[in-house]
Amino acid sequence: MTWSPKLGAGLGLAALIVLFGLFGPLVTGDPATIRDIGLTPPGGEHLLGTTVTGQDILAQLAHATRGSLWIGLLVGVMATLLSGVFGIFGAYAGGAVDEVFSVFSNVMLVIPGLPLVIVIAGFVPPDQRGTGTISLVLALTGWAAAARVLRAQTLSLRNRDYVAAARVSGEKTWRVICVEILPNLLPILASQFVFAVVLAILSEAGLSFLGLGAANSSTLGTMLYYAQNGFALQREAWWWFVPPGLIIALFGGALALVNFSIDEIINPRLRDKARRRRDVVAVEAEVAPVEQDAVLTVRNLNVVYQATTPVHAVKDVSLTLRRGEILGLAGESGCGKTTLAYAINRLHRPPAEVTSGSVTFDDVDVLALGPEELREFRWVRLSMVFQGAMNSLNPVTPIRAQLQDVLRTHRPEMSAPDRELRCAEVLRLVGVDPARLGSHPHELSGGMRQRVMIAMALLLDPQVMIMDEPTTALDVLVQREILNEIKRLRDELRFAVVFITHDLPLLLELSDRIAVMRDGEVVEYATAEDMYLRPQHPYTRQLLASFPSLTGDAGALIT
Amino acid sequence: MNYYLRKAAFYLAALWAAVTLNFVIPRMLPGNPVDILMAKLQQRGGTVDPAARKAYETLLGTGGDGSVVQEYLSYLGNLLRGELGVSVSAFPAKVSDVIADSLPWTIVLVGLSTLLSFLLGVGLGALVGWKRGTWLDSLVPATTVLSAVPYFWLALILVALLSTSLGWFPLNGGYDVVLDPGWDGEFLGSAIYHGILPALTIVISSIGGWLLGMRNMMVSAMSEDYVLTARAKGLKNSRIMIRYAARNAVLPSVAGFAISLGFVVSGSIVTELVFSYPGIGSKLLQAVQNNDYALMQGIFLVITIAVLGANLAVDLLYGLIDARTRDRSAVS
Repeated sequence: MTWSPKLGAGLGLAALIVLFGLFGPLVTGDPATIRDIGLTPPGGEHLLGTTVTGQDILAQLAHATRGSLWIGLLVGVMATLLSGVFGIFGAYAGGAVDEVFSVFSNVMLVIPGLPLVIVIAGFVPPDQRGTGTISLVLALTGWAAAARVLRAQTLSLRNRDYVAAARVSGEKTWRVICVEILPNLLPILASQFVFAVVLAILSEAGLSFLGLGAANSSTLGTMLYYAQNGFALQREAWWWFVPPGLIIALFGGALALVNFSIDEIINPRLRDKARRRRDVVAVEAEVAPVEQDAVLTVRNLNVVYQATTPVHAVKDVSLTLRRGEILGLAGESGCGKTTLAYAINRLHRPPAEVTSGSVTFDDVDVLALGPEELREFRWVRLSMVFQGAMNSLNPVTPIRAQLQDVLRTHRPEMSAPDRELRCAEVLRLVGVDPARLGSHPHELSGGMRQRVMIAMALLLDPQVMIMDEPTTALDVLVQREILNEIKRLRDELRFAVVFITHDLPLLLELSDRIAVMRDGEVVEYATAEDMYLRPQHPYTRQLLASFPSLTGDAGALIT
Repeated sequence: MNYYLRKAAFYLAALWAAVTLNFVIPRMLPGNPVDILMAKLQQRGGTVDPAARKAYETLLGTGGDGSVVQEYLSYLGNLLRGELGVSVSAFPAKVSDVIADSLPWTIVLVGLSTLLSFLLGVGLGALVGWKRGTWLDSLVPATTVLSAVPYFWLALILVALLSTSLGWFPLNGGYDVVLDPGWDGEFLGSAIYHGILPALTIVISSIGGWLLGMRNMMVSAMSEDYVLTARAKGLKNSRIMIRYAARNAVLPSVAGFAISLGFVVSGSIVTELVFSYPGIGSKLLQAVQNNDYALMQGIFLVITIAVLGANLAVDLLYGLIDARTRDRSAVS
């Protein structure tokens, strides 16, 4: 756990207020003592002034802080217990229990809490309205939101492998919950507890301000109630009504800061600083002599992840892609092939940085493009099909909108009917019924989604298409269909392809030339034939040997 | 089951729970509300005929003859006919009339300020998430501290500063009392003028929650693959932010509307007291202070129904903006 300034400030402030509530009452004297000095502004003997009856505000504040914290703690514990029972136990038990608990939590959630508390408090005669009763009512009306969060988290936990393993091995239910599930829920429980405490203090303050709080109790809310009824506002006695509210606000704010830090522990995405730094540094002006017929030339490209210990993900890579060529990029996961592909289009995310080298597209120096030029370059000249087509499509908009987006942006002069025609045309090219334009991604199969991605990549007739593991997640039959599709489209439309995969035999079938990458370096770069018949590098040989199918009918994949 | 049917069933269940809670609470708690009510009624010169007593007993329980089941059934029947009894504090007005008079004030005030707060919070949250690492980040802790401020206290401070000291806004009330309520420009202008400060209170106190939630989801959404695709497509930044990142990030905020709406409604009840706003919150407090149990229960029911209705509307909207929800529940 990292010690962030937010967490420090939050805990510090909260601790100060707790200490004030704990020890303040011991040193400030009796808050109820009435003096005939009336409303006195702060200063001298009374640091925070006095109320209209001459009671010392500092003393009242100390006692009230203690009262509010006590109720907050009481309610926080009870509400967290309740939400634990309904959220964790329900979700773990599953089936009808979960269904009933979940409906019950949701019903409790939509019934507005404070009005209910007010009605209940209204029915209970004041002399029977003790701190315990009020706390119980606040806990009963305040646990539901937390239960919902806990339920969702428990549901995902109970399906994890280690929990399943514990269940299968016959562990008792309470043991599985306590040993396997609870520890993983601790950050969420902590954040929900903090939330419940703040909510309880706020609600209690509201109730007491309305005169419906616990009888004979002294909380920040009752202070505000007396301030309001003593016309503190009209008398401009700010020292009477500002401090109690300020303490609530500061305490709530401090706990909110603590909650921030807990959030960042739960969700790592919130933690790392995504400062948008330069994505390219030190671009060399010398544009390498471009080969005849080359459409994309990469020279001595270096990409470094600027972490605490920098990772050199792409080392001095040089590649040439000719018009209409399929260039295979092979290597194990983590070898830098995806980083390389992203860097060509400058899609690498911070902290990745291109530290040196050049990427030349026809006559365009890609690394030197300004943001707007880069935007106009993308997809028009070079499009991409990503790894995991499942998540590459926007889940909440239909296919049509996602295809038309491209045309709207890059072909603003195109009319609406023409756009529609073009979208239908590319879908037909990849063998998807144009009627699917109105479908959402979740309504399509994995293979179909990948076809839609390829159709999208075709929209603007780019010269180059980068395909990053486009078929990895698909079953073998669909994979073969799509590969055939790619080859056919390439032959028809004459675009060049950079095809990235860990599957070297597949590349031998598909590509004209192949680059094998290892630890960020291209270790071998040759035509597919040379690589199959005369592998030079030991690593290539090792890769080839690890696919037994190759010794058999190697020609079966692409028909 | 169909998504919409499921939702309708859930809200019916919630409504039934609220109605039943309303029936059970006065019977479970100590004290004899009917006697208190009858005494109050007598003070106000009301007739203590057996019919009035019977009506209150149906509502609040007798502890005497007649089975609970029977009472429950006639209670439900009365509700269906909209008969909520007679208010003691506003005697001889009927509870339903008192509510009808005050409800529009609250719906307009709380409804508009909640909508405004949601739009502002979600919009700012999207921007803060998108521009992460810039000075905008400091908006997050600032607004969160604001949302830890009790509504009524903030209202007091605003009144002290803007009304008492500067005299920019009226101290309290929903309109200038010399005017007659009606649909003329002068009255509406006065109502808007009086509503600004209460609305400001609600917006300031509730915006932090929306902003934080949206910002966190935005940060998560920005590392999703579809945002990468959108960038690779060379779309304009504004389009990626709105159509791809924010469009997905807003879903949990909409789904979590129920939680937030509860807070806002609770907060605004107390806010109404500070401003002596002629809404339903002030009436609820008036009812509680005068032991006007019939009015209390009527108002609780109406508030609950309003909150349920708002949630139902949001749920239906959610089905529209996320097609996956409809299909998922069709399978299960």
